Amino acid sequence: MSIKEMSRRRFIEAMGAVSVIGATGLAGCGSQRAGGSGSASASGEIADTITFAQGADPRGLDPAYVDDGESAKVMSNIYDTVLKFDVETTEVLPSLGEMPDISDDGLTYTFKIREGVKFHDGTDCDANAIVTSITRQLEPNRTEDMPYASFVFGSESTNSGIASIEAPDATTLVITLRAPSTPFIRNMAMTLAAPIVAPSAIEAGDSNENPIGSGPYKFVSWTKGDSIVLEANEDYWDEEHKSQTKNAVFRIIAENSSRVTALNNGEVDMIDGIDASVVDTITGAGNELFEEDGMNINYMAFRNDSGVFADLEARRAFCQAVNVEEMVQSLYGDYAGVANSVMPLWMAPYDEDIQQTAYDPEAAQAKFAELGITSCTMLTYTNVRPYNSIGGQPLAEAIQGYLREVGVEMEIVSYDWTTYQTKVETDAFDCCLYGWVGDNGDPDNFMNLLADENVSMNVGRYRNDEYNALIQQGLTTPDGDDRDAIYKQCEQMVADEMPWMLISHSKNLAAYAPSINNFYYHPTGVVHLELITKTA
Amino acid sequence: MAELINDAAVLREEEPAPSQMPPEAPEGERAAQKPESLWKDMWYSLTQNKPAMVSLVVISLLVIIAIVTAIAPQVLPCDPYQQDLSQSFEGPSAEHWFGTDQQGRDIFSRILIGSQISLTVGLLSVAISLTIGVALGAIAGYKGGIVDTIIMRFMDMMLAIPSILLAIAFMAALGRGIDKAIIAIGFVSIPEYARIVRSQILAVKQTDYVAAARVIGDSDATIIFRHVLPNVLPSIIVRATLGISGAILDAAALGFLGLGVQPPAAEWGDMLGRGRNYIFRAPHAMIFPGLAITITVLAFNLLGDGIRDAFDPKARKR
Amino acid sequence: MLKYIIKRILLAIPVLLGVSILVFLIMRVFSADPAPVVLGQHATAEAMEAWRDANGLNDPIIVQYFDFLTGALTGDLGESYYTHTPVIQELMSRFPATVELALVAIVIATVVGIVLGVVSAVHKNTFIDGVSMIFALIGVSMPIFWSGILLIILFAGVLHVLPSSGRIDPLLAPVGGTGLYLIDTLLSGDFEAFSDALSHIILPALALSLYSMAVITRMTRSSMLDTLNEDYVRTARAKGLRRGRVNRHHALRNAMLPITTVIGLQLGGLLGGAMLTETVFAWPGIGKYVVDCILKSDFPVVQGAVLLIGVIFIIVNLVVDVIYAYLDPRIKYSQEEG
Repeated sequence: MSIKEMSRRRFIEAMGAVSVIGATGLAGCGSQRAGGSGSASASGEIADTITFAQGADPRGLDPAYVDDGESAKVMSNIYDTVLKFDVETTEVLPSLGEMPDISDDGLTYTFKIREGVKFHDGTDCDANAIVTSITRQLEPNRTEDMPYASFVFGSESTNSGIASIEAPDATTLVITLRAPSTPFIRNMAMTLAAPIVAPSAIEAGDSNENPIGSGPYKFVSWTKGDSIVLEANEDYWDEEHKSQTKNAVFRIIAENSSRVTALNNGEVDMIDGIDASVVDTITGAGNELFEEDGMNINYMAFRNDSGVFADLEARRAFCQAVNVEEMVQSLYGDYAGVANSVMPLWMAPYDEDIQQTAYDPEAAQAKFAELGITSCTMLTYTNVRPYNSIGGQPLAEAIQGYLREVGVEMEIVSYDWTTYQTKVETDAFDCCLYGWVGDNGDPDNFMNLLADENVSMNVGRYRNDEYNALIQQGLTTPDGDDRDAIYKQCEQMVADEMPWMLISHSKNLAAYAPSINNFYYHPTGVVHLELITKTA
Repeated sequence: MAELINDAAVLREEEPAPSQMPPEAPEGERAAQKPESLWKDMWYSLTQNKPAMVSLVVISLLVIIAIVTAIAPQVLPCDPYQQDLSQSFEGPSAEHWFGTDQQGRDIFSRILIGSQISLTVGLLSVAISLTIGVALGAIAGYKGGIVDTIIMRFMDMMLAIPSILLAIAFMAALGRGIDKAIIAIGFVSIPEYARIVRSQILAVKQTDYVAAARVIGDSDATIIFRHVLPNVLPSIIVRATLGISGAILDAAALGFLGLGVQPPAAEWGDMLGRGRNYIFRAPHAMIFPGLAITITVLAFNLLGDGIRDAFDPKARKR
Repeated sequence: MLKYIIKRILLAIPVLLGVSILVFLIMRVFSADPAPVVLGQHATAEAMEAWRDANGLNDPIIVQYFDFLTGALTGDLGESYYTHTPVIQELMSRFPATVELALVAIVIATVVGIVLGVVSAVHKNTFIDGVSMIFALIGVSMPIFWSGILLIILFAGVLHVLPSSGRIDPLLAPVGGTGLYLIDTLLSGDFEAFSDALSHIILPALALSLYSMAVITRMTRSSMLDTLNEDYVRTARAKGLRRGRVNRHHALRNAMLPITTVIGLQLGGLLGGAMLTETVFAWPGIGKYVVDCILKSDFPVVQGAVLLIGVIFIIVNLVVDVIYAYLDPRIKYSQEEG
């Protein structure tokens, strides 16, 4: 699907939304929706409560200590960030801070911070509070249980990220970087690590359980394994994003089919984590489906440093053996597209000319026979992941089925996701399923995975100095054609060398009751409930 | 708590088992004197029990299916491992009697071949718990004293943790696989056998013929194996038959939680667990494996009941 | 009596110690290293090593065990690796849900089981007897997770009469109190919340109760048949007492002895069943949570939870034995273990 087509579809969808909501103000072509205020009031009363069901408890509710999407979804409604992503895209907009002035050497960022913003407990959310919230995540204050701190704020050892942060006065924030970084500005808008936590909550020491932010919703209660209750922040500073719904509830329902049952049974208003198999059930019950291209990649990594697939020829044979197109169509239906590049179709430096290895089982069988490869081991996860709506097991088994056809017996070893992350680091394997959800919309956020020294990021242990040099170059090159060219080159190298077998880019799928207005699932995998209303 | 839980463990068989007979129970004596007639009586009585006989037929069929599909898998209507993604989640049809699963594999063939795993797990795990449990129970009951206390305290300990929780912890530690499931399930049911055997041994130990054996100088082992164990055999057989159904259920639970077999192996609980996510799109993917489990477990339960009644003249009269 | 109870409690201590050792060994010796799980995918090897040091995972296993034990004795079960919340807090926030589910299930199982069992025994070998025995057999033969799903499909998926998941509408959830929603809402007179909580608990409790219900039905039937044949029952009947009165006052009362034991055992067993039921019904209890934590190698939580379940199991057994002793005067409290 070309970018143009996608925009058209998005436009049609937006028009559909207009007819449901009965409001105006949508310009189409992927532009921003009308703000939450007033859009639903035309069609009558607004319900007091909206309920969103997700698959797992958040790991915690302090953005410094978590690294999972389930936490991010809840936190994005409680906290503000210095900068924020646009409602539907990863375009960066002002939030607590204005867009920064960047010094000529690219090292000093000066933000003007909005005045008069208060945290939910009434304390000031000013530049000093921002410094407190971020400084605790910088070395030497950083503790090991802050999983995203080094990623977002950099570290000394890699000579990246924040060298110093200070607030000369309550409305000015000055950040100095160790080295220029094009993605940095996007990092300030991320839902992990970057959101600003009230210093009072940090002092109290239970910010993971009793979060205090400045966002459109206030935290009320959390019953583990069951639900999280939020209530509207009546004093929210951003009129356009002030919630009209009094209560927002997150329900935790682990099983996909149970969430669908709960939606169809009227127990909840919105759900995510669904796959193609339940779409008919959902729409058949009169509920609406949300689908939008997601910012993710579902891939299988070869073990590039050892074992049978250290050999490029073997990797090629594997890729030839698997009919990725048939597999993606059968497993994900219309809700994922075959991946022709690491970065999803719609992200900037995509090159339509890049082609992955074509399906050719005869060639694969001959090559495997020639190389004497008759068996291999695959590691996989059991859970559903944002980039793989059906879970690792069925995907692994489908690949196993294709390899069986060309005379290779593949053993599948699977673990729960959390355990799995350990196993890919410690266990021997020939290939493994993995994936990535973009955090900030920057190409480096995807392409860097194959250059990362950290095995948990670069599970295939791919190492190519030429590739690494390109990544370093991309990091310091400002956005524009030059930078795009660098990432196109990276994409081409992946297609040629096949460190991964690319599988699919999953759509973000969610469903909601027809009474819900303004539903939107952000490409980073969060839902801004403040814009959503429910017709009573 | 020992004395009461002992009774309780026995009561787990739901109806008064032969073990509850007082030590001078008639069949205890009878068995010692003319064992053949006990078995004949029992078999005759079993043949009069229609549900038990039907179950026996069902179980025999299952065994035959398991053996035949193991020796000659080509008799199956389809290759149970052959994937065809274009046929994903087809409903039941003439070609696929029970429909197809997500990978487009024939569920009927997978259920047939799945009998291998369920029966293997059922039989082998019971064999493990039976062997270890009987040995421990016999030693505890026969030796008494400190040995008894140590063994039975250990059994109490294991009983204080729900067996499925213990099995899950084992599987999480050992990793997936049938062999590990067999060990996990076998291990967690040891106490049940140990308790039954111990209480039986305590009863039989007092009887005259054991005293007589001791007087003529038989060794402990001889006494246990020649005189004591044969007398506890009926209740062990009953317990083991019911134990097989319990083991099949436990294995299905592990499979359901995703801790069971390695793919592409076909295991009923595992099939059910996968099907669960598609109850709307393809209910058949969950209903047929569930039926297979229920029917198999039901058959072993009915047979176990039948055997118990057949051994127990009191129940027979009912 | 008191002496007997104290003795039983003392006897439970070594069992509990053993339980703690067993679980500790399984979790620490065989399970995956929690460090990468805890610290996330961006952690460095040094950070993980530092974390293992800080959490005592590099100490000798004996030292680790005694750390755990001394903590447990002072009511400190450590913190969840995953959420950094004290284990006690994690467990206590979920425990009432499981207790409520198990209690409602055992009540359903007991009431239905005893009624069916008595009816079957009194009408032995009739059509009613046959039907309830078939029901009981199917009840013990169906995988609990399967019957749960079938109930959901029927009542939530097709009929839309009962909710499929959760405990209560979160906005109606009572704050504080016992944590047992049915009791809390009743005490506060909030009938809307009570009926909401009731509608949520029916399906999971029913699914969980099926197995126990079947076992209690069978036990009651056979126990009743035994007592109906006893001399005193025959005598009572011969004396011309009405049949119903004989059944209730003489037969059932005596048949209750073994039934009590079975009910007690079933209550313990329900904790195991709850693990599967809670998974199917998204019930926010301890069972599903423990399974998740085992898979995540969250050692402190699993150790704490299994210890808690062990304590509950032992207490339940103790209570059952005391009731048993009360019902059956033949039991001598001073009796040596036999």
